[in-house]
Amino acid sequence: MLFALPVLLVFVVFSWGPIVKGLVMSVQQTNLIDPVKWVGLENFRYVLSDPGVGQAALNTIWFTLLALLFGFPVPVLLAMFLSELRGRSWLYSTLAYLPVITPPVVAILLWRFFYDPSPSGMFNTILGTVGLGPYPWLDSPSSAMPSIVLEATWAGAGNAVIIYLAALTSVRADLYEAAELDGAGVVRRVWHVMLPHLRGVLLLMLLLQVIGTMQLFTEPLLFTGGGPQGSTMTILLLIYNYAFVNGDYGAATALSVLLALALAVLSAVFQFATRGWSTE
Amino acid sequence: MNRFAIRCAAGLSVPFLLVACSSAPSSTGSTGSDAQVTITVGDRPSSSDAANRASFDKRVADFEKANPDIKLNPVETIWDATTFQAQAAGGQLPDVLNVPFTEPQGLIARKQVADLTKVLKDDGLMSELNPNVLKIAQDQSGNVFAVPTAAYSVGLVYNRELFTKAGLDPNKPPTTWDEVRQDAKQIAQKTGQAGYAQMTTNNTGGWMFATQTYAFGGSIENEDGSQATFNDGPSKDALQLLHDMKWVDKSMGQAVLYDIDGISKAFAAGKIGMFMSAPDAYRTLVNVNGLKSSAFGIGPMPQQGGDHGTLSGGSVQIVSPNATDAEKTAAIKWIKFNYLNKYVNQDAAVTSAKAGVAGKLPVGTPGLPVVAADQWATYQGWIKPYVNVPLDQFAPYTKVAADQKIIPEPPVKAQEVYAALDPVVQTVLGNAKADIPALLTKAAGTVNAKLGR
Repeated sequence: MLFALPVLLVFVVFSWGPIVKGLVMSVQQTNLIDPVKWVGLENFRYVLSDPGVGQAALNTIWFTLLALLFGFPVPVLLAMFLSELRGRSWLYSTLAYLPVITPPVVAILLWRFFYDPSPSGMFNTILGTVGLGPYPWLDSPSSAMPSIVLEATWAGAGNAVIIYLAALTSVRADLYEAAELDGAGVVRRVWHVMLPHLRGVLLLMLLLQVIGTMQLFTEPLLFTGGGPQGSTMTILLLIYNYAFVNGDYGAATALSVLLALALAVLSAVFQFATRGWSTE
Repeated sequence: MNRFAIRCAAGLSVPFLLVACSSAPSSTGSTGSDAQVTITVGDRPSSSDAANRASFDKRVADFEKANPDIKLNPVETIWDATTFQAQAAGGQLPDVLNVPFTEPQGLIARKQVADLTKVLKDDGLMSELNPNVLKIAQDQSGNVFAVPTAAYSVGLVYNRELFTKAGLDPNKPPTTWDEVRQDAKQIAQKTGQAGYAQMTTNNTGGWMFATQTYAFGGSIENEDGSQATFNDGPSKDALQLLHDMKWVDKSMGQAVLYDIDGISKAFAAGKIGMFMSAPDAYRTLVNVNGLKSSAFGIGPMPQQGGDHGTLSGGSVQIVSPNATDAEKTAAIKWIKFNYLNKYVNQDAAVTSAKAGVAGKLPVGTPGLPVVAADQWATYQGWIKPYVNVPLDQFAPYTKVAADQKIIPEPPVKAQEVYAALDPVVQTVLGNAKADIPALLTKAAGTVNAKLGR
């Protein structure tokens, strides 16, 4: 018990305390200096009547879907590809992991430069050599979110690749050999040997990805500020704006509580729905 | 999924983290038993900026020598909305902090700044300050919550080299929006760069749209800030002009998303002919982003259909709402000593100008007088030998700015209003078929809901 105390304290002070305080703040009006005013569910009413919240929720779901569609399979495929490589695989894993080491702010500033919408922008110049573009990238409401997904996939894939690779190393080599002797090609080996072994990890990563992508913040803050035309305004960026631009902590915490609730419900449904899948 | 974990921490828990360290508000200053007052003063330059830090520290020492009953605790805190709120929650705000002109009204509404009316009157400083500029720091009943120490009005910054290349006279920037349109078109056609650009993101879109609306004779909110007033002719005309420049003339380039940092970088790189900004942009453009000083030009805010006025910008000093009366008095003394003395005392003016030159900061950037007009002129005479900015290139602005009407920011929830207007400007610049009246009606609805809260 004595040994657990420091950990417990850290949790109470830095995790649970703020969560409880956040819950309390969501029914208060405060400027952080004067005594607070209790306002009941007024903050929730205000947040739910803000037309920006609906759009932000849709944008967030849109990002989550795009990230699932494109961002989820990429690391799986990369990990499978890397595990098939003989020799120098450490080099390729390092290369795959490098973007994760790049601080997000630096990476985003670099990508903003790549995404320059003028014909002399980097991506536009490259695509121009094969007769494509110029594309507006972040500057058009229809392509801004996919552009963010592209960067986020690049930046986040390395982490997932390492986890999948670790899971794949636990697959016994004799299983592959047996499959190979039975005449299974690459596709069948992947389908019948690799994927079943990855199932548990895949499901966990899927849940983590959904929770993570629902909390998209850094990219829209630094790339677009939520624009163009509100097309990349996410729930989290809206919470940030409520708190630090408008100084409305009641609304910010109320929306945070709503997001946390939505994620909790989503996780519960996910756990329930996939209960049978993750066990072999 | 480390990044996701980081996002969780940085994002979902942002408002929670705020209060993690919150406790009963306590003043950062303290009153000792021998009646010595200690106050914390922000904006000490960081150690990487050695020359300016040394000069700041010397002023602190000089101040303490001249005021033995006041002790200063200088900290490197500068204005940042996020750290400000966290420090407010933790009772750790510096007693004196420099904040930009866009902030005081929000801080006053949220009661996050001290009321300085009484101490300013007692000190006599109230009567020395320029009443027009002081408005930025007053609430609707005239109480003063901050001390303006630098003021500018928004004008039109332009690239003199691009003007010359386009066959325009670099000493004659446009003074009406029709001329802006014409010149922008010529720059785009002759140089291939964007003739004109405008900020659009992180509330700067609404901020600049407000400025433009003012120049077209319109307004953003009614006088008591209870109703949006921008859903009318002047705002529509302003947006229509932007639309036509972007889509008919094609003189605004491809990029739509600009904040102040992005537009400064693009302008310094020679990609933009003109944009709305104040003369203090000189420092950001030349000293920070490497624009050739000879390429910098600034004219007055272009007007349309009459002489309507422009928005102001600059810096004010605020005092922590937790400060006691003694600490407020000490804070005012420091603000006078550090920021305002140079305007009324020749030695202080010369010392400050010399320090600016040594620290490679622009000295003598024209602006609006924060003290009475004749005192301001005297001050200009004192620092003349040390001026290191090309005053000729500011001339088109200075000739007009002193008499141009200054219109304050929207009185209520300016930042939230700007946030609601960002998408309007972005849509006009991002969609050739944008329905301007519908956009304004929708934004007015959003703004009215916010003003009602």
